[in-house]
Amino acid sequence: MKKMKFEEALKGLEAIVDKLETGELDLEESIKLYEQGIDLSVYCQKQLAQAEGKIQRLIKKLDGDIQIVDME
Amino acid sequence: MQSFISVSELNDYISGLLAADEFLSDFWMRGEISGFKFYRQSGHMYFTLKDQETAVSCVMFRSRNQGLKFDPEDGMEVLVRVYVSVYPKQGKYQVYVQEMQPYGRGGLFLQLEQLKKKLEAQGYFAPENKKSIPEVVNCVGIVTSQDGAALKDILRVIKQRHSSCQVMLVHSSVQGENAPFELAEGLKLINTHGQAQVIIIGRGGGSLEDLMAFNTEIVVRAIYESAIPVISAVGHEVDFSLADLAADLRAATPTQAASMAVPDISQLKRELEKYQQRLNRVLELRIGHYSETLDRLMLKRIWKEPHILINEKQRKVAEQQEQINRRLADLIQSHDHRCRLAIEALDNLSPLKVLQRGYAVVYKNEKILHKIEAAENGDYLKIILNDGKLEVQVMGKEMFFNEENEI
Repeated sequence: MKKMKFEEALKGLEAIVDKLETGELDLEESIKLYEQGIDLSVYCQKQLAQAEGKIQRLIKKLDGDIQIVDME
Repeated sequence: MQSFISVSELNDYISGLLAADEFLSDFWMRGEISGFKFYRQSGHMYFTLKDQETAVSCVMFRSRNQGLKFDPEDGMEVLVRVYVSVYPKQGKYQVYVQEMQPYGRGGLFLQLEQLKKKLEAQGYFAPENKKSIPEVVNCVGIVTSQDGAALKDILRVIKQRHSSCQVMLVHSSVQGENAPFELAEGLKLINTHGQAQVIIIGRGGGSLEDLMAFNTEIVVRAIYESAIPVISAVGHEVDFSLADLAADLRAATPTQAASMAVPDISQLKRELEKYQQRLNRVLELRIGHYSETLDRLMLKRIWKEPHILINEKQRKVAEQQEQINRRLADLIQSHDHRCRLAIEALDNLSPLKVLQRGYAVVYKNEKILHKIEAAENGDYLKIILNDGKLEVQVMGKEMFFNEENEI
């Protein structure tokens, strides 16, 4: 799946659920939409369940490069 | 006779001198108010400004004092913007107050007010230039002191709401000489690094003096120029800082800034689960519906006893066959009947039968003779009777003239 924002994915999921619930779709279309919805929900879940967030410090070195230091 | 001038001329002269002096025509001065009088009728204010050594009379006309944001009173230290002129009636010089602010904070306010106007004119605070904060932020940049309570508050709230959120901290002093530069550099550094989706810049509360770094042009400019949206969280004891005005969103406290920056992930998770449930339910329903229909169809007798389909057809075929046979028999019978009738009729018409009844057939030259006129006297004829033939010669002929023979 192409890179997309969480909120886009969530909106897409909402639209699919609405369409499935109200739309007069044949079985084939329903299953296709369902698969898309599952993909989106898995993507959203991954976005929400990232590893424990790190706290890092950005330090500007004298040569202008950025140094990243883990905190805690 | 010595030359002289009038008192008025003296006062006018001195007035002119004072008016011509550039410095005296507009400057700021600090002093303590005493003998404050407010004339209700005219609306003018009269008072003396003094320091430890000396004093000077002041007047602030109604047109100038109407916009005052505080009530001047005796003992109050103030900063006034004035010009100096002569009060001719008493022949003394007097200070004409154009603006007045409380001193102490007043001085800072003055500076702030001027900077605010300047930056405002450059569009740094314009609402249309504000960026919106993303709904779901997974990486927050923070510019504040690594030792401050503000940082602890921010990190605590971020962890509560969104434990997987990344934090990119740039330490900066938040007060003192270097603070403005470091704060601005911090914003730039996070922008250069580029991963943060929102930046919180701030510090815990403090006095106006403590917060002055957030009122500097360099910080305001850095906030304005940040490509990443900025939330300001600068204390909460004063009405505003210029950083607050320039920020895309203003929080009263660092805690509030953190809740504005990151979403409450548990709530988003609940929302997501709700959608997943609906998604599954709707397909289950759909498939359930189809399989029910399928079951219903499979229950039909035809699937259990498929031979009834053939039986039915066989029965129909047999029926048709029988019908055809019957029709054929009928047909044969009726033909048979007609045939017999025809034979009988034919039989009756047989010439032999006619001969039996006494009739004869006459031949001339092997041809049946139908009419008298075809035979002449002396012709040899052959007559066939029932039981044999005669050979005869015509001896005479006589023609009948009745209607029957005409035919």
